[in-house]
Amino acid sequence: MNHPVWDLPGLGSGWIIGIISIIHVSIAHLVVGVGAWLAVMESRSREGGPDMALWIQGRAKALLWLSGIFGAGTGVGIWLSIGLVNPTATQHLIRAFVMAWAIEWALFAGEMATLVGLAYFYHRLKPNQRAVLAWSYALCAWLSLVVINGIITFMLTPGTWPTTHRMWDGFWNATYLPSLLLRTGIALVLGGLWGLAVSAKIPSTLRDRALRPASLFVLAGLVVAAFSAWFYFHELSSATQVALVDALKLAMGDFRGFLIGLGMVLGLAVVAFWGVMSLALGALGWSVGIRKLAVVLGLMGLLFAALIYAFGGEAWRALQHFGAWLKGAGIPGLTHGFRWALMGLGAFLVPAGVALGTLLWPRFLTRFMATVALLLACWGFGGFEWIREVARKPYVIREVMYANGIRKDQVEAYQKGGFLAQNVWARTFAASKGDTDLAKGEALFRAQCLACHTRDGYRSLKRSTAKFAQEDAIAFVQLLRELDPEMNPYLDKMPPFAGTDEEAALAGKYLASLNGK
Amino acid sequence: MPLPLPVPDPLPLPLPPGLFKALLVVTGMLHLLAVNLAVGGALVLSVHALRGRSSDREWVARLVPLLPPAITFAITLGVAPLLFLQLLYGDFFYTASVLMAAPWLAFIALLMLGYALVYRFVKGASIRGRSGLMGMLLLLGVGFLWVSVTTLSLRPDLWAAQAAAAPHGGWIRVVDASLWPRFLHMVTGFAAVAGLLLALWGGWRGHGEARRAGLHWFAWATLSQLLWGGWLLMAQPRPLMKRLMHIETMEGFTLWISVAAGLAAAHFALKARKGEASLKGLWLPFALGLLSVLGMIWNRDQLRDMALEALGFRSCALPHATDGLSFVIFLITVAAVALLIGVMVRWIRSHANEVAP
Ligand code: HEC
Repeated sequence: MNHPVWDLPGLGSGWIIGIISIIHVSIAHLVVGVGAWLAVMESRSREGGPDMALWIQGRAKALLWLSGIFGAGTGVGIWLSIGLVNPTATQHLIRAFVMAWAIEWALFAGEMATLVGLAYFYHRLKPNQRAVLAWSYALCAWLSLVVINGIITFMLTPGTWPTTHRMWDGFWNATYLPSLLLRTGIALVLGGLWGLAVSAKIPSTLRDRALRPASLFVLAGLVVAAFSAWFYFHELSSATQVALVDALKLAMGDFRGFLIGLGMVLGLAVVAFWGVMSLALGALGWSVGIRKLAVVLGLMGLLFAALIYAFGGEAWRALQHFGAWLKGAGIPGLTHGFRWALMGLGAFLVPAGVALGTLLWPRFLTRFMATVALLLACWGFGGFEWIREVARKPYVIREVMYANGIRKDQVEAYQKGGFLAQNVWARTFAASKGDTDLAKGEALFRAQCLACHTRDGYRSLKRSTAKFAQEDAIAFVQLLRELDPEMNPYLDKMPPFAGTDEEAALAGKYLASLNGK
Repeated sequence: MPLPLPVPDPLPLPLPPGLFKALLVVTGMLHLLAVNLAVGGALVLSVHALRGRSSDREWVARLVPLLPPAITFAITLGVAPLLFLQLLYGDFFYTASVLMAAPWLAFIALLMLGYALVYRFVKGASIRGRSGLMGMLLLLGVGFLWVSVTTLSLRPDLWAAQAAAAPHGGWIRVVDASLWPRFLHMVTGFAAVAGLLLALWGGWRGHGEARRAGLHWFAWATLSQLLWGGWLLMAQPRPLMKRLMHIETMEGFTLWISVAAGLAAAHFALKARKGEASLKGLWLPFALGLLSVLGMIWNRDQLRDMALEALGFRSCALPHATDGLSFVIFLITVAAVALLIGVMVRWIRSHANEVAP
């Protein structure tokens, strides 16, 4: 890191970006889909009469609230947090892509302006003018995706940019198109689910008109997303492909135990869900009488009791398997992440089911169901984003800059001339602690390891070096200096240590001190 | 020990730095005007809402719904200068923000919460002054964080001490003398500009009360700037202050022209208070007030460059390798969006009289 390091104990600062960006990215994709859905609704509203118009204006206001406050707020949040967590990389990206971001900003301004116009002046616009504005909004939102997509995919597959340093060489890269398709698909899914959620409770004459396009959005989006995910995978380098497949296989682990356990848990969840839903519907005065409900629940309970009696032992073992799978004793932390991501991708089944169900039996859709489906889809999307981030590691910009802000082309100079000698903030930190060996070691640790590890929280180095004697820790960091993958098996996970041999020893000493050695 | 200035990023800018500087100043001015309207508006309106005079009720209720879109505009217009600022002054900006990372991150929470509270300021027929006031205070908190980071970014001599005192980026431990006067100067400016716009609105809509109240806010806030502005001037490092005191320097000229315009605007505003409820008599204070505000914003930019130049940094000396294509696409996009907005505004205005707002 060329700048000072934000040393956030516990989770580590990277999580801040994770949390803010999953919210922001979900909203940013969602509004594209919602914009298109509103535009479709607008064209269908002519037969719908004044009720429909009033209702659409209300939806535009809700969208303004969502995208104006939370979308824009978390968007600024991403800027601030990437600047805090990895200022060096942020600066490099801005230098390379400032004009793309400037273009995106202009589109964002168009987005906000048309939305404010729609939400506040709806009744001063003629129906066809409203439709034009709604489509313009959706178009601006999608085009800003078109722009941002170039930067995000550049970080994974920078193409010829590392040699030419020309923006458009990095922008139009190998994963650009599949990623754009995938994001467009996701935008349709999220927008459609939002449409389902907001239309679930309206009077029935409008309801069908609103629900059909929304569920079609979800289904179409899922098809596009599934196809482009496959396309995406094919555009990755073969090394990345192999690494991803291996990681996913490892994450699957004991597949049978997993499936049985998951089946049990899902079965229970469905029963519980139906129970709660029927109770809730009953409370809302729907036609499910308490007596009928008790009978249904009682029967289900009996059925379950019988099942457990018959297959109890087997089921119990399967559940234990599932528990062990979840806890994953002895499994590297990364694999846990893959599991969460995988489960998220699996969770896309729920939105698919909800959308299909709505097409077939629209009256059974409730807002709760649509909202749960929307949240699950966001989780799945987050899983995809997480996998993409991991595929990029140990780089933040592949082949250009490592996650700790050190450029690939700087490593040699740092290994020869020393990191402390050439990095003013590492020196400043060491000086603030009296320039002892430990202080210097900590300064190196902060600048080069903290981007991915913490001392004793997330991906804790205290834990992973617990068995190391001081010499082992020193030897480990010295090993990280090696640039030859034959010698240094960590090169595909961790950046090489960018410092002299003596500095590696200082960092090793500091590592050992975490465990009091 | 030499100052802990990060090594500059080696990539060249895609356009001459002067062009980015111009973009920064122009978008920054637009952003600050929107912030003045939004936050200053929330300040003025929540004070009047809480005072609860019956003569104020009507215009407060009509103006409060304008605040949320004003905040939306302020955020939207703020993204562009934030981008160009990082491009030109990144090393200073990033370093300062990392050194006070935790409070700096509260920026987002304050912004969203403040926005939500201002959104709740009016609902149907009821005005919730307290919600407006709370929202306004949170948004002022955002302003305070902004001023803190920018102030710290200009003082690399304080960085090592702040880093040592707050190794985890906790609270702001080391404070530059100009922080408080800068903040007060800014808040008072918000109130003044919002007052001026309120007066214009009152004159336009024939609202005598609103017009009078707005002129009142503008004139007194502007006059009190003698206090905050004077304090801020005194808090500048000696060499900077000396240059500012001399009207024949570029910076001194901008400063004193803006001060004079502000005072003249306050004078004419006080005179116009007695006038009838129309736009008559408002144009002069408006033009002078705008001149003063824009001059002050520009002066702030000059001050930053002066401070950085003393450290040997000149944004205009950054290397560049021109990428004309991107710039053309940017211009086309801006033009297309401007056209879209223009068409939309025309549509809205052409039906203005059919349905009351
Ligand atoms: C790009 C992110 C990244 C950076 C930077 C990084 N590491 Fe790692 N490190 C990893 C990953 C990923 C693993 C594997 C963890 C897993 O599989 O759960 C790992 C594992 C380790 C382990 C455990 C090795 C083992 O075989 O169990 C140690 C020790 C370690 N890192 C030390 C360091 C040190 C010291 C630094 C700084 C010089 C550093 N790391 C920098 C990502 C990083």
